[in-house]
Amino acid sequence: MSTYETLIVERRGGVGWLEFNRPDVGNAMNSVMLDELERAWTELDADPDVRVIVNTGAGKSFQTGLDVVELSRNPEALREQSRRTKRAELRLSAWHNQVWKPVIAAVNGVCAGGGLHFVADADIVIASSNATFLDPHVSIGQVTAYEAIALVRKSPMEPIMRMALTGRHERLSAARAYELGILSQVVDPPEQLAEAAMALAEKIAQNSPAAMRATKKALWGALELGLSDACQAGADELVALWGHPDQTEGPLAFVERREARWLPLDAPVPEG
Amino acid sequence: MKYSSFDCLIVERRGPVGWLINNRPDQLNAMSAQMRDEFAVAWKELDADPEVRVIVHTGEGRAFQTGVDVTEIATDGQGMERYRESVADFDLHFTAWHQEVWKPVITAVNGICAGGAFHWVADADIVIAASDAQFFDPHVSVGQVVAIEAIGLLRKMPVEAVMRMAFVGKYERISAQRAYELGMISQVVDPPKQLRDEAQALAEKIAKNSPAAMRATKKALWGALEMGLTDACRAGADELVSMWGHPDQTEGPLAFAERREPNWQVDNPA
Repeated sequence: MSTYETLIVERRGGVGWLEFNRPDVGNAMNSVMLDELERAWTELDADPDVRVIVNTGAGKSFQTGLDVVELSRNPEALREQSRRTKRAELRLSAWHNQVWKPVIAAVNGVCAGGGLHFVADADIVIASSNATFLDPHVSIGQVTAYEAIALVRKSPMEPIMRMALTGRHERLSAARAYELGILSQVVDPPEQLAEAAMALAEKIAQNSPAAMRATKKALWGALELGLSDACQAGADELVALWGHPDQTEGPLAFVERREARWLPLDAPVPEG
Repeated sequence: MKYSSFDCLIVERRGPVGWLINNRPDQLNAMSAQMRDEFAVAWKELDADPEVRVIVHTGEGRAFQTGVDVTEIATDGQGMERYRESVADFDLHFTAWHQEVWKPVITAVNGICAGGAFHWVADADIVIAASDAQFFDPHVSVGQVVAIEAIGLLRKMPVEAVMRMAFVGKYERISAQRAYELGMISQVVDPPKQLRDEAQALAEKIAKNSPAAMRATKKALWGALEMGLTDACRAGADELVSMWGHPDQTEGPLAFAERREPNWQVDNPA
């Protein structure tokens, strides 16, 4: 992996880790982190040894959004971010960077405002029992849009509206986020979060990389379309894998009661 | 009405309730090519029977359904290729939604519900489950893509849970209790052996409602999954107004005022 100033990016077995690493400022995104996020997602996605990616934070926060203080001292970076925001060309999250490997957000503490991008845009979300969620945008005179828009597609809407409108004056607990289906696992005690994320990622890493990539494209694509159109587009992803070695290896391994041998994503697909 | 005879399904009527029962218990109700064909016929026959007001779909044995018959796929020399054309064209015929059944459909999950079984969870109007039911999606663990059934579920429940099931594959299962918490299902039946009685009781409640009003309601709500909010409300308004002038639409308020059971017009979808 290349070196990063504001992130820890590494591989443990088949699992790539992307950890926000500005713990003294709640892991807020400054101009360096904005650049590094795009590079890190791309690097992890391109690494053939990485099957699954875990995204978490160092210290007691997960992610608290843009570092407004630092960005205000760097007018050029702020202008660039404003331009990208205006054009919906953000490159913060896995989804923004078109990462098609499975992504697990492991929320280790406070997740505030722009930090919700990484919850909304992950495939799977787990959290430590002391994690909290809030969206202070309107409390500091800012609009919340992208991250909440994605969340209203993915979870019951009323809690997202409440979070958007109560701003910094209320927080959602990890337990409530679990009840609402915003996340699927609460880890207690909190210090076992990384271990739990790793165990989950290792399960996922056993599945067919090619099948997971096509599944991810089908399911995220479905959020763009009406039901029947989404099913038709999903059918295209489904059939696209037919003829791929994994698609016949899987049922064969099942019948022969053995572990399947998957083709790595970067390997050439033999002619059918 | 007399139904066709089926090898892989049990199709029958109990009072106003049509029952469609997956009947390959030794294969955990996995869908063979023959069963796939029988579904297409069974849904249409139940929908056409004027005595049937509501349909319940469940399974024999310890599984509700476990998707396509993987053993048949792995050993028949054709595999999924048999279905390439129909899937590529999204021309499927094995669920109520595929077959445009506009009567209410209840899926009663009696045990294991795996992989392709989610087609009948996603495409039912109402889902209940026995307390020992288990839900998981092993597609990616056997080198298959999951798309259509998960896409249906994504519209109907929190997305993260669906994505987790899709990517974790055979390595985790969701309990009936968690499925209930997530709103994937609306009732957990305990003890499990009472599932069919509870499904029949629920179906009989629903059967008391206006068939014509339920049909228009079902069209409005499923249609809404196709569009943005404002367009869905406009299309829903068309369904709403289509009932005005229908006898049920005046009979309902009249029966309410007269404190008696309403006499609904028997609805013939044909």
